[in-house]
Amino acid sequence: MARSKTAWQVWLRRLSQTLFAALFFYLFLQTVYHPVNQAGRGVDLFFHFDPLVLLSSWIASHQVVAALLLSLITLAVTFLFGRWFCGWICPFGAIHNLLTTGRARNAKRRIAGSEYSRWQKSKYYILFALLVACALGLNLTGWFDPFSFLFRGTALLLYPMLDDATKASFGWVYQADPGVGSFKFTTVTEPVYEVLRRHVLATTQPHFTGTLLIALLFAAALLLNLYRGRFWCRYVCPLGALLGVAGKNPLVQIKRNQEACNNCRLCVADCQGGANPDAAGWKPSECFYCWNCHSACPHDAVTFAIHVPGGEQR
Amino acid sequence: MTNAFFRWIKHFFRPPQPTRLDLSRRGVILGGVAGLGTALLVRSSALGEGRTFSPTLVRPPCSLPEDDFLSRCIRCGECMKVCPTNAVQPALGEGGIAGLWTPVLNMRLGYCEYECDLCAQVCPTQAIRKMTLKEKQQVKIGLAFFDKNRCLPYAFARTCIVCEEHCPTPKKAIWFQEVQVMTPDGTLTTVKQPRIDPSLCTGCGICENKCPIADRRGVYVTSVGESRNPKNQVLLDSSAGAGYY
Repeated sequence: MARSKTAWQVWLRRLSQTLFAALFFYLFLQTVYHPVNQAGRGVDLFFHFDPLVLLSSWIASHQVVAALLLSLITLAVTFLFGRWFCGWICPFGAIHNLLTTGRARNAKRRIAGSEYSRWQKSKYYILFALLVACALGLNLTGWFDPFSFLFRGTALLLYPMLDDATKASFGWVYQADPGVGSFKFTTVTEPVYEVLRRHVLATTQPHFTGTLLIALLFAAALLLNLYRGRFWCRYVCPLGALLGVAGKNPLVQIKRNQEACNNCRLCVADCQGGANPDAAGWKPSECFYCWNCHSACPHDAVTFAIHVPGGEQR
Repeated sequence: MTNAFFRWIKHFFRPPQPTRLDLSRRGVILGGVAGLGTALLVRSSALGEGRTFSPTLVRPPCSLPEDDFLSRCIRCGECMKVCPTNAVQPALGEGGIAGLWTPVLNMRLGYCEYECDLCAQVCPTQAIRKMTLKEKQQVKIGLAFFDKNRCLPYAFARTCIVCEEHCPTPKKAIWFQEVQVMTPDGTLTTVKQPRIDPSLCTGCGICENKCPIADRRGVYVTSVGESRNPKNQVLLDSSAGAGYY
């Protein structure tokens, strides 16, 4: 049975990614002064579900912030079912995912770029280095933690730039006041600007010092997707590494139908994590459960199923 | 059932070859040495707690003592996003390598609003501790100093009371001494020269922020006297700070 459509699991995953990314940026916009000295509620929610923050701050400071214990849920879910967090929830992962879609159309080149590489182990070494430093009281996790990286980049770069660009362009339309006949563009732009001003833009334009280094690293993290899809998630992310360790023996496993498979390796072409869904041997620690392999298979030979690893040995 | 469970757990620690992480000994040692080396380098730096104090390392109010702060801060930028005056900035050199991108206050860009503790509310790791607003208002962030070569009443015999007007503490931390000075045309005049009361100043920096000398201000805040560090104090002076938190 030749399959040409995208599987529903992939659409569900995209919906999940979109919603969580939207939640991240909604919470970002809520991180402002509300009347009576009150920040938006739960704006640090994503950090509370980040087990890397819990682990590193616990090792470095020997203390635990109660709210961070929520991240044990993330850890437990990953331990039981695998690294779904990276594929379905992480907003930084969703951005990398988005930037990965514009790659080569040639299937052979896509396969070559999506195969498992032993360099993917580098993220585990980065995690180990960070934890060793934490044990000596130096917590540098924030340099690489994906939520810190994304929030920092958004707060210090993207948001001030967008704020400035929006105000400047709407301001220009207002000043120049162009129109066709008796119709003025400002009758459309001004209500839009009013909505943006109330809900999105900053009250006063934020400015930050020394953002060049942050900008270079942020741009590099995004641009590396052109070299390898989801480069950050595969090679760098210490949270991904931590979840990879926790999810190395998940109850949700890939299931390949050996008889239907003709080794075309199309399942590898769009594999986001470089997890080798083909005959080379699936790597649960690298798999984001994006279901692209299932969707790409022309013979319906790849799917995921509940399976107890080691359970088959009698 | 229980057997399957034990096999599953055993499988976690000894998975078959293709599913293993298969980390190389060389890589793990390299990672360990990198972490160890960076940590030791930073610990041995002169900027470490109790050796020297960076005057520009002015942390947001309710920040933990420096070592505890660095063991928790994940440099996420929540405090920088939420600060209503834009005072909270990512550190570049103020706190050494270990302090890169951690929050510091820049009083030229903003100041610490007396009625606000949002940075503590949003900090996910409590490197900036949550406190009641009343407690936060007692916390000393640093201490303000006048630069007599630039402050208008001192340098140019001109009347200026901007800093005193903005000072938010219930009893103003800036007071005046009336002094007879000579103006450029040779006549004598009386000006009010501002002074800091270190027991009242919280180091909020609004005086520095509002000072009309636009580039280098006539009054500025440094970290000395900060409540979070009992060592970074005006030594010999028990009235300035010294309260832990």
